[in-house]
Amino acid sequence: MREIMAILPEAIRAILTALPSAVKEHLEEIRLRQNQPLEVRFGQQSSYVTQAGQLTSTASKGWIFSADQAVKLLSQVSQHSLYALEEELKRGYITVMGGHRIGIAGKVVLEKGDVKGIRDITSFNIRIAREKKGAAQKVMPYLFEGGNVLSTLVISPPQCGKTTLLRDMARSLSYGSEWSSSRKVGIVDERSELAGCLEGVPQRDVGPRTDVLDACPKAAGMMMLIRSMSPDVLIVDEVGRAEDGDAVWEAIHAGVAVICSAHGADLNEVARRPMLGNLVRHGVFSRYIVLSRTKGVGTIQAIYDRSMKPLEKEKVAWSS
Amino acid sequence: MVKLIGAVLILFSASMVGWQIGRYYAYRPVQLRALLVALQMLETEIVYGMTPLHRAFVKVGRRVSEEVGRLFLYAAELLVSEKAPSAEDSLQQAMGKYWAQTALRRQEREVLASLGQVLGSSDREDQQKHLRLAVTHLRGLEEEARAEQAKYERMYKSLGFLGGLLVVILMF
Repeated sequence: MREIMAILPEAIRAILTALPSAVKEHLEEIRLRQNQPLEVRFGQQSSYVTQAGQLTSTASKGWIFSADQAVKLLSQVSQHSLYALEEELKRGYITVMGGHRIGIAGKVVLEKGDVKGIRDITSFNIRIAREKKGAAQKVMPYLFEGGNVLSTLVISPPQCGKTTLLRDMARSLSYGSEWSSSRKVGIVDERSELAGCLEGVPQRDVGPRTDVLDACPKAAGMMMLIRSMSPDVLIVDEVGRAEDGDAVWEAIHAGVAVICSAHGADLNEVARRPMLGNLVRHGVFSRYIVLSRTKGVGTIQAIYDRSMKPLEKEKVAWSS
Repeated sequence: MVKLIGAVLILFSASMVGWQIGRYYAYRPVQLRALLVALQMLETEIVYGMTPLHRAFVKVGRRVSEEVGRLFLYAAELLVSEKAPSAEDSLQQAMGKYWAQTALRRQEREVLASLGQVLGSSDREDQQKHLRLAVTHLRGLEEEARAEQAKYERMYKSLGFLGGLLVVILMF
């Protein structure tokens, strides 16, 4: 939260500081749209915020985010260096210190039909990343077989804590735990979310034996790490493209366990997708962990083995 | 005797004044060159290194001569401590504080100020264009400064001494 406050312009910072502390503690998103009232999302609710930092459901009472503020915010967020964010602007979000992510929208600039960047940025979505140590505790016992780490696919709809889970798995594997000795972990952090690197240094605790390839495309990054860092386990967030699938194949053939995540509601849905389905059918993964929000963020819905059979239910403890 | 001491003093101070003015003409091209080098380094940092502006300022500021480097170092300090809301403002403030200590003139200041307006607020291609434009401007000014140096540096130095000599002669 402190990191977020530091990059906000004075006016917005003052309003957010004045928010009730119960809201501040559970703040998930701060949404700013030009000429529209400031909106915050906390827990499962959302609300506008007045100039005095009070919650309101009436849009007209909310504090209006002016064009001037938008320019200021962008300048602050980019550290007055928009040129350094070309890749980020192409992808539509910026990662800031502490691993928080700011989504942006505005007028898209095209070059030869491809998105070149975003100009006239008018919408910001500041997503606050929360660190939850111990999130992987409940799943760790399922990740080993004969002393080896099993390749695992974490399946989850958005905002169910898959990044948090992956990070905690990385930490747990890297430090070592009651289930295994410590391993060399490689993280390909394309969106700087897992380790939240700033200038190459992880801002999150990802463990002492972890090497992070920050902002690197997943497919290329996995191959680079295998060659250069000889990891025991590769951890990758959100695989989905065809080349990612090839890289996962390669990694597993190189004897490296891969733990990655994918968007999806359940295993069957993922199995129908072209690239992931292919990997599932070939039995590339030995464990599937499905997350949901039914009992709060990070609920572990089910764990399946390589033949897509659920593992005994009673052993699947709930994580809160 | 007193008169003699006075005469020596007058001659000395007049020469010093001439020398100072002459030196100003000698410093300007040197500092202009430093500024040029600074902008070229800034271009490298921005276009190839994609270094955030405040760090680029520090890198550049440390590597060029002190008079010019100070401008960038102070601007970086302002950006980091958030005393300046924008890159433009940081440069303006830095120039306001340290410009008088340089041998540079208003034309140079204008080039730097107009560069400041766009610095950091567009993509790399655009930044490069603006930086190159500023460098071209400064090159022109540098040539001008060198021509002036050749013309005036000697002149002011001898003028100071001769002026002092004139007063001394009138005194006796």
